[in-house]
Amino acid sequence: MCGMLSVIFVILIFGFLFVESFTFLKNFGIFRFITGKHWFPASNPPSFGILPLIIGSILITFGACIIAIPISIMSALFISEIAPENLRDFLKFLIELMAAIPSVIIGFIGMIILVPFIKKTFNLSTGLTAFSGSIVLAFMSMPTMISISEDAIHSVPWKYKEGAIALGATKWQTIRKVVLKAAMPGIIAAIMLGIGRIIGETMAVMMVTGNASNIPKTIFVPVRTMTATIAAEMGETVRGSMHYRSLFAIGLILFLITFIINLIADLFLRKIRR
Amino acid sequence: MVEKIIVENLNCYYNKNCILDSLNFSILKNEILNIIGPANSGKTTFLRTLNRMNDYNTYYSRNGNIYLDKLNIFNMSVEKLRRRIGMLFAMPIPLPMSIYENIVFAPKCLGLIFEKSKQDYIVECVLKAVFLWNEVKDRLNKSAMEISGGQQQRLCIARILAINPEIILFDEPCSGLDPISTAKVEETIIELKKKYTIVFVTNNVKQASRIGDRTAFFLMGKIIEINKTEEFFISPKQKKTADYISGRFG
Repeated sequence: MCGMLSVIFVILIFGFLFVESFTFLKNFGIFRFITGKHWFPASNPPSFGILPLIIGSILITFGACIIAIPISIMSALFISEIAPENLRDFLKFLIELMAAIPSVIIGFIGMIILVPFIKKTFNLSTGLTAFSGSIVLAFMSMPTMISISEDAIHSVPWKYKEGAIALGATKWQTIRKVVLKAAMPGIIAAIMLGIGRIIGETMAVMMVTGNASNIPKTIFVPVRTMTATIAAEMGETVRGSMHYRSLFAIGLILFLITFIINLIADLFLRKIRR
Repeated sequence: MVEKIIVENLNCYYNKNCILDSLNFSILKNEILNIIGPANSGKTTFLRTLNRMNDYNTYYSRNGNIYLDKLNIFNMSVEKLRRRIGMLFAMPIPLPMSIYENIVFAPKCLGLIFEKSKQDYIVECVLKAVFLWNEVKDRLNKSAMEISGGQQQRLCIARILAINPEIILFDEPCSGLDPISTAKVEETIIELKKKYTIVFVTNNVKQASRIGDRTAFFLMGKIIEINKTEEFFISPKQKKTADYISGRFG
């Protein structure tokens, strides 16, 4: 029953986004909307190209993944396989605590400490860059990724490790070839949840990326994401206007992207389980 | 007969409880030594001490010495030791990978073989040695989790043969198997005697009388009696042994 309800909710959300953005997409054209290089909703005539926003979102997500995934897997391995028991409990507690930090606070810390640091270190005109956004998002997603990967690694039966060790494999070989392999479906699920959190994150990103809707050429320039655009502009639009509806269309695209990512993750998980 | 393993004054403890109490005996080259005894008599602890699987247990402690060809095993590197002393557990533990990978896993880890052709050859040899080749040759790349329990256990034996150890420890290898699989595993073990020294722990007294050259009876961490299997079962010297094998206690 509850499962049915949640499916109905998802369909309703999709329907809502679709209805709100339908007239806009019909008038402006989906293709022009997605591939347009300029986002000037307030100029005359307005231009609603979200390519820079999509690229901004993807760039930041990609950067955050590159930072977060290796660190998360290694941390999870350390916590579950190498750390002594009392340290393990303590670290696990700390990481679950980290997951509870509100995104605004992480964004705030990023703005005060990270942004000036990046400006100084890389000698940039502004520290509000895609790179800063990636780092902040990596920090936000790591607790989720570590915690769930750790659960997956910890639930690998002791007998697998024993079997490998009894054959003369070293601890490291056992971890690399047996434990990681057996825990892989769980680790992938953890990573996907982390990516979900990265793509959907709004507040922290808005505070550290500079929000300039240009197509970025490097990771050291300000970018703007789809989520930040919706959050920043929704308050300024006239209800029912073209601009208002275009924001719903962005929401629809965002929804589709996360949907596709989850779908791929699901297919991948199923393939591995088999 | 050459003494392959010499156990000298071995004591083992869990949480200060004495599990093995001053053991002194030896295991001969190319023999099958049965170890029988009721639960909690220290059989498994002894096996796990032999290839040092208990080193990871923080509650475990020991003193005394075990010599493998005159070298003290507690001074060897554990990986080298386990290459020479393979161990098979009570329940089959296939690793979560294909049948083929299960066999080449350990040789690869130990750096013994790298070429694909040599791997293929070894896989075929060891599977034939455990009479499993005909049953699985068409599905070597299938997951080892998909074959039956008896086949898994024989795969686990094959996996040990692939690292070509000198001694193989069996810890109640048939306790989870049906009579037909058990017969196949026993047949395999007797066949292996030609090349390997075998220590065979079992709960099943009849099984011990079927396969071992010598039999040792463990009780409460002590060796009560160790003798040639025939004499052991026909004319046991100790009353406790006689009671146990005739089923009067234990």
